[in-house]
Amino acid sequence: MAGITTHVLNTVTGKPGVGMRIDFSIQEGDGWRLVKSVRSNADGRTDDMILKPEDTKIGLYELLFHVDDYFRSQGMALADPPFIEKVPVRFAVFDTKQHYHVPMLATAWSCATYRGS
Amino acid sequence: MPILQTDRRAFLAGSAALSALVALPGRAADSSTLMAQGVAAQPMAAGATPPGRLTFHGIDIYHGSTIGTLKVDIAMQDAGSYRVVKTFNTAGNGRSDGALFEGDTFKPGRYELTMYVGDYYAALGTKLPSPTFISRVPLRFGIADARERYHIAVLFGPWSYAYYRGS
Repeated sequence: MAGITTHVLNTVTGKPGVGMRIDFSIQEGDGWRLVKSVRSNADGRTDDMILKPEDTKIGLYELLFHVDDYFRSQGMALADPPFIEKVPVRFAVFDTKQHYHVPMLATAWSCATYRGS
Repeated sequence: MPILQTDRRAFLAGSAALSALVALPGRAADSSTLMAQGVAAQPMAAGATPPGRLTFHGIDIYHGSTIGTLKVDIAMQDAGSYRVVKTFNTAGNGRSDGALFEGDTFKPGRYELTMYVGDYYAALGTKLPSPTFISRVPLRFGIADARERYHIAVLFGPWSYAYYRGS
């Protein structure tokens, strides 16, 4: 499988991050063009791929994770401004035949991302 | 999370004397100077708030040590967009050379550090695909109380990164 997928994990509770808004953008020139906004499902993943293999081109992409709103939705009171708020992850697709799985592991004070599978 | 914040502040105050020494590993001269001056130069009694400051440490977990120099832009959010206010190169082992902002120069608000990870690995000759999976890494964080110490710790490699509020 090729294309782009993601997965949100709440590493405070050790459970999937459910209902987090994720904005997906493509770099065009010096700016970013918002392609779509989605929400993570009950498994912390998205119902549809972020980008299908046939639509994936070599280039730079951004996933913006609304981590602050997610933790507020879990009943957590955050600092103002929150330490971890909306987290952009920017990565390149260098070979459209490969799969790019880009997860977000978040707490209110830390986050991590990596190329998964 | 007011309770956790209070706990954190209490912890910081309680370990202030220790932090003054360990917050600058790799800068033995400074540490020994602090020791020689007996930290008493800046007495930090239990319960006293140490001066707020921002420090940075980027750790290259691909090589196991930050053997190169990492360039970092610091931007602050101003009227909805981020504006670069300072650029620095890491000093010993991926650390900022002391505090990036301290005392009155350290303002609350929204910050974005851009780490030039692509350039870092290119300079080291690390073989990676082109374009590299990650190149300019944005690290956004909010500073709610600039009287506190914020240490931005980043573990990075060509295929991953993590950052957290360190100490």
